[in-house]
Amino acid sequence: MKIFREVCSMSDQEIQEQVISALKTVQDPDLHKNIVSLGFVKNMKVENGNVSFDVELTTPACPVKEQLRSECETKVKAIEGVAKVDVNMTAVVRAAEHSQPILTGVKNIIAVASGKGGVGKSTVSVNLAAALQMTGAKVGLMDADIYGPSIPQMLGIPVTPPKAGEDNKFFPHEKHGIKVVSAAFLSKEGQPLMLRGPMLGGIIQQFLQNVEWGELDYLVIDLPPGTGDVQLTLTQKAPLSGAVVVTTPQQVSLIDAEKAVRMFESVKVPLLGIVENMSYFVCDGCDKKHYIFKSGGGQAMAEKFKAPFLGEAPIISGVVEGGDDGLPITFKDQESPATKAYQAVAGQVAAQLSIIQAGKEQTETTFELAWKE
Amino acid sequence: MNEPKKVDANFPSPKKISQINATTLGISWSDGVESAYDVKMLREKCPCANCIDEWTGEKRIQPGQIKDTIRPVNIKSVGRYAIQFYWNDGHDTGLYTHDYLRELA
Repeated sequence: MKIFREVCSMSDQEIQEQVISALKTVQDPDLHKNIVSLGFVKNMKVENGNVSFDVELTTPACPVKEQLRSECETKVKAIEGVAKVDVNMTAVVRAAEHSQPILTGVKNIIAVASGKGGVGKSTVSVNLAAALQMTGAKVGLMDADIYGPSIPQMLGIPVTPPKAGEDNKFFPHEKHGIKVVSAAFLSKEGQPLMLRGPMLGGIIQQFLQNVEWGELDYLVIDLPPGTGDVQLTLTQKAPLSGAVVVTTPQQVSLIDAEKAVRMFESVKVPLLGIVENMSYFVCDGCDKKHYIFKSGGGQAMAEKFKAPFLGEAPIISGVVEGGDDGLPITFKDQESPATKAYQAVAGQVAAQLSIIQAGKEQTETTFELAWKE
Repeated sequence: MNEPKKVDANFPSPKKISQINATTLGISWSDGVESAYDVKMLREKCPCANCIDEWTGEKRIQPGQIKDTIRPVNIKSVGRYAIQFYWNDGHDTGLYTHDYLRELA
């Protein structure tokens, strides 16, 4: 009987060929190519009809990870002679091309900006970093709001000077698996940093050049409001991969957010999308969403600029408590609608970065030419 | 969830910059356009606040002020959007945006 079965059933090699052609019908919905030609399928093994392989995505935060896994499983299981399928989803974040001698271990740099102050940039930055970190990515967070640094409070990091390394370098603080630098660590707790504009650029340069970030998949930069010195220094000195613009739904905020969008346009930093923060309030009495600052503003703005709308995050007490207690809601409460919103934002941001890197013809954005007589 | 839309990251940017001869700079753009620039013209069109009055927009470089011997010493990219020239007359404050260089082409 055993011999008969082996003769009748397909050989492992034949199965492997069929598995590959089945996987060629699985499309990555963002990159619009099948996962075999994208080179995602790795380490395939077929033994006595037991099939196992890795699907290596471009980000662990991929929003369609589970969808791709089940599609692979279903299609491979349908092949005659396959007894068992084991799909292992992995991810290696692709690096944005840049040859600037700074931030060499950092694969993607995401600037979070708003135009208007008080729309929750830092809250979005912290929870975006948290959501990316929870997918397994290596994440750093740069608090570039020099005059009003709030990241240490939001992550529960005591204000202590950073640990010094060699050659004037220093190490970021680390909390909840996220590496953090902030101007808050440069002064005594509660003391203001009183500086004129040109000094701001100097501090930002230090954050870019003198920090031992190590290897990072994503560096999130929490910008101060406005379109001034800090924003200009960053766009000139840092190889930004893309920008996320945060707004609240009302017109007063949208006007300023549009300016932020146009700033990134003029310095050629791709807009990853618009996040609408404080979109609605849910009281503790019922589940009704109260749209206290009007609704639909962020979506309308995204349509105007043909940018992705990354989602709306609610204004609820859990978000505020998470910020004040140093444990962001994304870490604390997996069921909160705010956490779900921030996870969706993180997934979309990661997807957009992968799309840009896959779609754009890589140009040398950084160069130097010495003129010859 | 919304289907992510494509980010427009395909504005023309310099793919390669090169020295064509002693006085000509070449830029190959990502959209296939090839441009050649006379370096003296580039120096005369410097967009910095010293060369073009920041408030009035008045041009401060006088005709004939830039000598024929003007040459770049070094040329560097700035961020994702501009190029900075270091000239042999010591001037280096002009950031020529990609858009501006396309206009001058």
